[in-house]
Amino acid sequence: MAGAGGGGCPAGGNDFQWCFSQVKGAIDEDVAEADIISTVEFNYSGDLLATGDKGGRVVIFQREQENKSRPHSRGEYNVYSTFQSHEPEFDYLKSLEIEEKINKIRWLPQQNAAHFLLSTNDKTIKLWKISERDKRAEGYNLKDEDGRLRDPFRITALRVPILKPMDLMVEASPRRIFANAHTYHINSISVNSDHETYLSADDLRINLWHLEITDRSFNIVDIKPANMEELTEVITAAEFHPHQCNVFVYSSSKGTIRLCDMRSSALCDRHSKFFEEPEDPSSRSFFSEIISSISDVKFSHSGRYMMSRDYLSVKVWDLNMESRPLETHQVHEYLRSKLCSLYENDCIFDKFECCWNGSDSAIMTGSYNNFFRMFDRDTRRDVTLEASRESSKPRASLKPRKVCTGGKRKKDEISVDSLDFNKKILHTAWHPADSVIAVAATNNLYIFQGKIN
Amino acid sequence: MEFKLEAHRIVSISLGKIYNSRVQRGGIKLHKNLLVSLVLRSARQVYLSDPCPGLYLAGPAGIPAPPPQQLGEPAAGPPAGWGEPPPPAAGASWADTEPQPEGSAVSEAPRVGDAVPEATVTGVGVVPQGGAADAAKAAWSRVEGPRQAAAGEAEGPAGGWGVFPLGSRASRRPCGCPLGGEDSSGTPAATPRAACCCAPRPAEDEPPAPPAVCPRKRGAAGVGGGPTSFPAPGSTPLKKPRRNLEQPPSGGEDDDTEEMDTGNVANLISIFGSSFSGLLRKSPGGGREEEEGEKSGPEAAEPGQICCDKPVLRDMNPWSTAIVAF
Repeated sequence: MAGAGGGGCPAGGNDFQWCFSQVKGAIDEDVAEADIISTVEFNYSGDLLATGDKGGRVVIFQREQENKSRPHSRGEYNVYSTFQSHEPEFDYLKSLEIEEKINKIRWLPQQNAAHFLLSTNDKTIKLWKISERDKRAEGYNLKDEDGRLRDPFRITALRVPILKPMDLMVEASPRRIFANAHTYHINSISVNSDHETYLSADDLRINLWHLEITDRSFNIVDIKPANMEELTEVITAAEFHPHQCNVFVYSSSKGTIRLCDMRSSALCDRHSKFFEEPEDPSSRSFFSEIISSISDVKFSHSGRYMMSRDYLSVKVWDLNMESRPLETHQVHEYLRSKLCSLYENDCIFDKFECCWNGSDSAIMTGSYNNFFRMFDRDTRRDVTLEASRESSKPRASLKPRKVCTGGKRKKDEISVDSLDFNKKILHTAWHPADSVIAVAATNNLYIFQGKIN
Repeated sequence: MEFKLEAHRIVSISLGKIYNSRVQRGGIKLHKNLLVSLVLRSARQVYLSDPCPGLYLAGPAGIPAPPPQQLGEPAAGPPAGWGEPPPPAAGASWADTEPQPEGSAVSEAPRVGDAVPEATVTGVGVVPQGGAADAAKAAWSRVEGPRQAAAGEAEGPAGGWGVFPLGSRASRRPCGCPLGGEDSSGTPAATPRAACCCAPRPAEDEPPAPPAVCPRKRGAAGVGGGPTSFPAPGSTPLKKPRRNLEQPPSGGEDDDTEEMDTGNVANLISIFGSSFSGLLRKSPGGGREEEEGEKSGPEAAEPGQICCDKPVLRDMNPWSTAIVAF
């Protein structure tokens, strides 16, 4: 049952509940570093769900067709394809190891039977083709059924090979490798609405590629100062506008977002729009700069809004208003007094992502203790849910969680000091049309479905 | 006092992070190190501006001067990145009563979120109007009674915190300005933009105090810098002229008084690393020669500078603890 654009009231309305659907990944407590999920992305139809991990692997899940005999059970996601996208490399010139961790996966719109996606690590972007093979040819002339070549002189008659059905095989093959264009670590890729080009962004530069051309790219943003000692900010995320193929945005470590129009000049160092919210002086601390750094920026599906995530909040911006965000949602304000500890254990550097639902009426982002938060923009309601094995009974509703900030802790509340900061939800994805969400909790992928009671 | 301890702790932690980043898999992460360097700078400012004379060497002038005063670059000395170490040889400059407008409010322990601007304006506002002499006089008199005055005043800009609340962009960047702003020969932690946080917003928010601070710090040349301290808000180009302005006055005192620029990752590593020469040389791919992976700051890593810093730093127990940790 498709939710109305991922709707109902996703953030805990009276009649809308998020229910556990599936969990993928190993159960044991010992988590292998390579299994940690580093990116999650639905494709344009939502039928495919891709994850990338720190070990450089990509796993694609496909939604099963709904079973007509059980109309109330929605399609489950099962493994469709698994492949090793990136391997660790070594840059001998700089004596640097290049991690194989998949930083981002972006799907291309589907144009034929095959599926295409871009996956990137710190330095190299690859275009993968995922295709199905369910037939094979038999009756070759030059080779026999085992594949051995036949002696041409023995062939007395020719035949036309025929196609015979076979077990479905899903193959992933790298079709393009876009390499050697980034000196710094790639943090974002974004496919353009023209379906021909895409951008890749590292700390200081953004490059524009054509999907067919691998040996060159255009540099469209370069914020590297002439003197590196003058560096004050880096690019943290970039994305193309969903409809206007000449427009893209990029966010910075200083909490600013710049919107650029590629028609204005070849090098988009000068922004067309500049989005920044003035900092509240009363909340200044040692760590103000860190927590204002934007970790993710996402356009709404409509293209009218965009959302930015910094350490403690998520902000919705109207593209027509640069001076301040339209909405600011606090994700875990109770951490503000703990910034020093979070700095010590490096959690303050965690880069949380955020996502819109299909109708842009709700947004979601992750937090610690395997909590994730949803904000309903229409009803102004928000809810905290948890991805845990304990609440993973089939179709069990998720119970809203609450963090107690001080004073008396009510029953079912969890105090700030009890939060597990090793269990962080950095990556979440929302189905483009239905009430289905995918939440990556370390090495496990949780899939929840929304139901209206 | 607790701010100093906190700041010291944060400095130690930050240095540890920078050091560890050299051996992290995947190479040095520019973003994270940039953020750490910003925290480091803030913490150092607070640390050096917290008036706990007991932890500092007595100034050569015999005055247990609160650090911020020393941070005011004496005369021609180019402001260093984030404040010079407590009295180097130029301690005598303290007696020179160089215009240290922020000195007055500085002695106050830095407090986050203070209504600093107002107080600072009150305390320091007089200064910008006057000439250098007036400023010197005013500063000197204020210096005399910083502790007493401090009670009523919120913390001044040189305290590091003071500048932060000033306006949006200004507060965003740690202000190296009152503490010395940019190195002339050295490496400002960040652009002039970052180094002089007063500049971008002062016109908007607290015009008198912070901008006044900056030019004053330049000493003799500072007055000339006065006008430039009221730039249009957020106008980047003004930073560069400011920087150039500082070049001339830098003179010979740079090397002695210039503080290490911890905003520069490679610089910092090399500075600390050079104190333990074995460490740096052990890692071939490490700190010094990261051509693209991190900022490079060869200029500031002058032997002279380090030699100056080392004895000073080693005399300070808290510092040596941090350094020895590496």
